[in-house]
Amino acid sequence: MTERVEHIIKHIHFDSEVEVGKALDHAEELTDLTPEEKNDLAEAFSIIFYHHDHAGVTAMVKMALRAEHLLAGFGCDVVPFLIQELVNADEESAGYLGRAIALNPCHDIDLLLEEWENKTDDDFAIINIIQTFSYFKSKNIIKAMPQILVAAKSGNLQVRAIALYTIGKLAISLKPDSFSAELRMSMFDVAFEMLSDRKPLVRRNAARALGKMQKKGLLLEGQKRKTYAAFKAILGIDGNHNWDRAFIVRHEANYFIPLFKSSPVSGSRYNQSFTVLKKKELCAKTFHFVIEAPLIARKLQPGQFIIVRPHAFSERIPLSICGRDAGKGTIEIIVNTVGKTSGEINALQEGDHFVDIVGPLGKPSHIDKYPATCVVIGGGYGTGAIIPTARDLKKLGNRVVGIVGARSKDLLLMIERLHEVCDEVLITTNDGSRGIAGFVTDALQQLMEQESVGYVLAIGPVPMMKAVSDMTRPHAIETYVSLNATMVDGTGMCGACRVSVGGKTKFACFHGPDFNGHDVDFEQLMQRQKMFVREEKEALAGAEL
Amino acid sequence: MHDFLQRPPLSNKERMNLPHQKMQLQEADKRTRNFCEVPLGYSDQQAMDEAKRCLQCRNPNCVEACPVGIDIPGFIKLIELGFPAEAAKKIRETNFLPAVCGRVCPQDKQCQAVCVVGRKNEPVGIGNLERYAADYERAHNTLMPPHTAPDSGKKVAIIGSGPAGLSAAYELRLKGHEVVVFEAFHRAGGVMVYGIPRFRLPLDIIDEDIAYLESLGVQFVYNMVIGNILSLDDLIEEEDFDAVFIATGAGLPTMLEIPGSNANGVYSANEYLTRINLMKADEFPKYSTPLYQGKKVAVIGAGNTAMDVLRTAKRLGADVTCYYRRSEEEAPARSEELEHAMEEGIRWKWLSNPVEFIVDDNNFIQQIKCEKMELSEPDESGRRRPVSTGKFFTEACDTVVMSLGCSVNPIISSTDKSIRINKWGVIMVDETTCQTSKPGVFAGGDSITGGSTVILAMGQAKLAAAAIDKYLKGDLKEEPQVPTDPEYYVKDWQLNGKINGKEAVG
Ligand SMILES: Cc1cc2nc3c(=O)[nH]c(=O)nc-3n(C[C@H](O)[C@H](O)[C@H](O)COP(=O)(O)OP(=O)(O)OC[C@H]3O[C@@H](n4cnc5c(N)ncnc54)[C@H](O)[C@@H]3O)c2cc1C
Ligand SMILES: Cc1cc2nc3c(=O)[nH]c(=O)nc-3n(C[C@H](O)[C@H](O)[C@H](O)COP(=O)(O)OP(=O)(O)OC[C@H]3O[C@@H](n4cnc5c(N)ncnc54)[C@H](O)[C@@H]3O)c2cc1C
Ligand code: SF4
Ligand code: FES
Repeated sequence: MTERVEHIIKHIHFDSEVEVGKALDHAEELTDLTPEEKNDLAEAFSIIFYHHDHAGVTAMVKMALRAEHLLAGFGCDVVPFLIQELVNADEESAGYLGRAIALNPCHDIDLLLEEWENKTDDDFAIINIIQTFSYFKSKNIIKAMPQILVAAKSGNLQVRAIALYTIGKLAISLKPDSFSAELRMSMFDVAFEMLSDRKPLVRRNAARALGKMQKKGLLLEGQKRKTYAAFKAILGIDGNHNWDRAFIVRHEANYFIPLFKSSPVSGSRYNQSFTVLKKKELCAKTFHFVIEAPLIARKLQPGQFIIVRPHAFSERIPLSICGRDAGKGTIEIIVNTVGKTSGEINALQEGDHFVDIVGPLGKPSHIDKYPATCVVIGGGYGTGAIIPTARDLKKLGNRVVGIVGARSKDLLLMIERLHEVCDEVLITTNDGSRGIAGFVTDALQQLMEQESVGYVLAIGPVPMMKAVSDMTRPHAIETYVSLNATMVDGTGMCGACRVSVGGKTKFACFHGPDFNGHDVDFEQLMQRQKMFVREEKEALAGAEL
Repeated sequence: MHDFLQRPPLSNKERMNLPHQKMQLQEADKRTRNFCEVPLGYSDQQAMDEAKRCLQCRNPNCVEACPVGIDIPGFIKLIELGFPAEAAKKIRETNFLPAVCGRVCPQDKQCQAVCVVGRKNEPVGIGNLERYAADYERAHNTLMPPHTAPDSGKKVAIIGSGPAGLSAAYELRLKGHEVVVFEAFHRAGGVMVYGIPRFRLPLDIIDEDIAYLESLGVQFVYNMVIGNILSLDDLIEEEDFDAVFIATGAGLPTMLEIPGSNANGVYSANEYLTRINLMKADEFPKYSTPLYQGKKVAVIGAGNTAMDVLRTAKRLGADVTCYYRRSEEEAPARSEELEHAMEEGIRWKWLSNPVEFIVDDNNFIQQIKCEKMELSEPDESGRRRPVSTGKFFTEACDTVVMSLGCSVNPIISSTDKSIRINKWGVIMVDETTCQTSKPGVFAGGDSITGGSTVILAMGQAKLAAAAIDKYLKGDLKEEPQVPTDPEYYVKDWQLNGKINGKEAVG
C-alpha cells in the first residue's frame, strides 16, 4: 500500500463523518491513482457502506453517497472488486455498491452476467446483481434483459420481484427507442403473466412494470387494453367486484390506471380525432372528405378556414370548408392535388387520421341583407368554399345566384349542393361542354345586364378573382375575394401570408381571408405564390422517388 | 441541511483570484456546418472549480438581480461540494426551467452583471453553473416529483405554452388545481421551440420538461387557438374554468414598410425561424416545408432574434450580412450570442438603415439599399440616436430576414373587448397580481410586456400563479388596479423588487 493511500485510509472512522469527509477530499484530489491504489481505496471506502446506522446518521449517508461517486469515478479498474463485494453484500450496501458499478463509465455488463452464471445457485447474489442492473442508465443494459426476463419467472419470490422491479425501472430510465419491438413484446408478456403470481409482492412489481412501460409509451394498443382490463379487475371496478386482496397491488393499479384511460379526463373534450369518415372522388385529382372534428364543426362560421397537416413530416397548409354538421361533429373539405401536401391528403383513406387540424381560423365572410342580388362565384375547390356563405346569405332572405366555372364539364363539382343553397346556378365551361361557353366573368356580365347585383363573393384561382374584381369595380359593387396566400401558422405570427390591400400590408390569415376585391394587389399575390416554385418541384420529386 | 459540509478553507481573496472556467465551445468552423449545441458544458471538475470562485456573499447582489430570485450562492455551494443533483433541486425551488435558463438567460445583464467577483475578475459563471446542475439532473435522472397538494376542485386554463404558460402550469398544479394548457401550434414550448434554434437550446431539454409537467397531471391541448376556436367566455362559462391565464407571447412580427417589403424572399424572423425550427425546413425535402434559402442573406436588426437568424442562415450555407442602424455597442443581443456570431464569420454592416428592397421582374429580391447613418451626441436620456447622412449604398442579396422585434398578437384582445390593451396592443394588468380588466382572467409573459426574456416571463407567471391561487381560494379581495391610460407602458418590470430583464429590440 502506498503511503498516500495509507494516509487517506487512516481517516476512515465510522463514527466521524468529518474524518471520512477529509479522507474523501483527499482521495478526490488524486487524479493519478494506480490501479492498485484504486483497489486499496475502494476496499477501504466500501467499508462505510456496511458499517453505519443509515437511519440515524444522515451526515454519514452523504459520505456514503460521495464514496459511491468516488468509486464509480475510478473506472474499470475497480469493477471486479466491487462485483465481488456486491455478491456478498447486505441490502443496504448492495445499493451503494450497485450504483458505484452501474454509474461507472466502464458500463461492464458482461462481467456481471458472468458472475451471475457462476452463482446460479446463490439467489442472494443474483438479487444483488439484478438490482444493480436497475441502476444502469446506459443502453448497454439491454443486453442483460433476456436474463432478467428469465429471472422474472424464477422459483424464488424475491428474485421474481426484483426482476420485475428492474424491468419497470429500466423502462423508465432508458430512452424508449432502446427497446426493440421484440423485446417490448417479451417484457409485456412476462410482466402480464406475473400479474397473476401467487405472491402479492410479485404482482405489485408486475403492475408497476406495466404502468411504467405505459408511461413511456412502450405498450401497443392491444397490450394497453389488456392491461387496463386487468387493472380494473384488480381494483374490482370491472363489474365482478373480485378485487385483489393485497392492498399493495390495488394501490399500484390505482396509481397507474389513469394512464390507461384512452385520454386524460378533461383534455379529451378538446381532443378531436380528425378521422376521415368518407372520401369521394369528385373529378380527376380532386376529392371530397368528411372528417370528424366536433369542436371545429360547432364553432365554424362561413368563410373561415382550417390549417391541416396530414402527417408529422408534412407542411401545414390552409384549406376552406365546404360544409359541416354540428350535430354529427363533422366538417367537409375539397382538396385538389397541386403539389406534395395536397397529394398526401388525397392519398388518405377512410379511417385514416390527420395528425393536426387547426381551426376555424380567420374572419367570417361578410354576410348581410342586400336590396339587390347576391352572387357567389367559385372555381375549383372554391365551388365548395362558397356554399356555406351562400346558405347564410339565403337564410337572411337574399336572392342568391351561384356561378361556377371549369375548363370542361368533367371538372365541375358540387353543382347539386350549390343548387340547394342558391336560387339559381349558372354554369360556365371554357370548352362549352356544359352551360355557357366561356369564363365565369361572361356569366357575371350577362347577369349584371339582366338584374341589379349588390354583392359578389369570388373564391378560386387568383386570375379569376382578379377578373371578377376588375369587372365589378366600375359599377362599385361590393366585391369580396378569399385570398389563398401561402401560410405557415395561420394566427398572424409569421407574416408569410402578407398581402397588399389598399396599399397596406395585411395578414391574410388574421385580417382575412376575405378582402375587398377592389383594393387587392393581385399582381403581388400571384408573384408571392410563386415564391417556392423551385422547392415545391423538389418536394414532389422527393415524394415520387 | 448541509451546514455540516465544510467548504475548503480559501480566503475570499484567493477565491477572487482563481481563474474563470471557460466553457468549451464547438470550434467555429465546425459548428457552422451543424445544428449541434455550441457550448459543450462543464465537466464535474470545471464546475466545482468555477463554483469555488463564488464568495458566498452574505447579502448577495446576484440574487437581487435575478428576476425570480434563485438562491444563487446556495446552489453554487452545493456544486462546489459535489452535490450537483441537490443544486438542481435548489434551483427548481424557484425556477422551473433551469436547463433552459442556464442557456438562454441574459446573465450578462442580470446576475453576472452585479456579481462582486466581476469587479476585479470575470464574474462567477452563474449561467454555466445553472446549466451544469440542470444537465446533471437530466443525465442522472435525479429529478424527484415534488409534493402536489390535494385536488382543490378548481380548474385553470392556461393559454399558450411558452415559458410563462409552462411555469404557471407548474406552480398551479403543485397547488392542487386542475390545469389545462391550450396551445395554438401542434407542440408545446412557444418561442423556445419555434424561435430559439437548436444550437442554442436542444429540443429534448424542453420536451423533458413538458413530459415532467404531464407526469404531474398537467393536460395539454394542441391546435387550439383561443379567441378563434374557443373564446375566453367559452372557457369561463361553457368549459367551467375558474380562472384563465393568458400567456400568448408577442407573436406579431414588426415589418419595415419600405418599397419591396413584400417581395419574394423577404421573411419575418418569425417565419424564417418557424419554417426551420418547428417545421424543419432545413431537412427539406424530407420534411415538406420549403424555404427559399438564398446564397446571400441580409438580416436586419441586431437583437437576440437577429443573432439566431444570422447563425441559422450561416449553418444553412449562406453568405450572411447583418444590417443594423445603430453601432455595435448598441446591439441589444446577449453578449455571448454576439460574440459567437462574430466567431462564425458573419459580415457586419453597422450604422446601415435599409430604405428599399430592389426586386426583379418576378418580384424576387435582388438588392438591398441602405442609408449610412451616424450616431448623434447623447440626448437627454443619454442614448445616442442614429441620424441620416444622406449617403446611400446598395448590395446584392437574394434573401432578407427582418428581425425587428414583435408586438402582441391581437387574436385574443380583438375577440374579447373586455380585455383592456394599451395603444401598442399590450395587455394591461395590475402590476402586483397580473389581473387583467376581465374578472378571473390574468396575463403574463411577453403578452404584457410586448417582448422580453424567458426568465422575466417566468417571473411574471409565478407572480400571476400566486395571485390566481389566492383568487381561487377567495382570498384576493382588493380591486385590481388595471391602468386605463392607453399610452401607459410598464417599462421596467420590477419583479423581485430590483432589476428588470427587459431588452430593447431593434
Ligand atoms: C384560405 C385558403 C383556403 C384554401 N382552400 C383550399 C381548399 O379548400 N382546397 C384546396 O385544394 N386548396 C385550398 N387552398 C390552397 C391550398 O392551400 C394549396 O393548394 C396548398 O397549400 C398546396 O400545397 P401543396 O404542398 O400540395 O402544393 P405546393 O407544392 O405547395 O404547391 C404546388 C403548386 O400549387 C400552387 N399553390 C401553392 N400554394 C397555393 C395557394 N395557397 N393557392 C393556390 N395555389 C397554390 C403553387 O403555384 C405551386 O406551384 C386554400 C388556400 C388558402 C390560403
Ligand atoms: C428568436 C428569439 C430568440 C430569443 N432569445 C432569447 C434569449 O436568448 N434569452 C431570453 O431570455 N429570451 C429570448 N427571447 C425572448 C423569449 O423567448 C420570450 O421573451 C419568451 O419566450 C416569452 O415567453 P411567453 O411564454 O410570454 O411567450 P411565448 O414563448 O411566445 O409563447 C406563447 C405561446 O402561446 C401560443 N399562443 C399564441 N396565441 C395563442 C392563442 N390565441 N391560443 C393558444 N395559444 C396561443 C403560441 O403559439 C406560443 O406557443 C427570444 C425570442 C426570440 C423570438
Ligand atoms: S454575487 Fe457573485 S460572489 Fe456573491 S454570491 Fe453571487 S455569485 Fe457568489
Ligand atoms: S400565416 Fe403566419 S401570419 Fe398569416
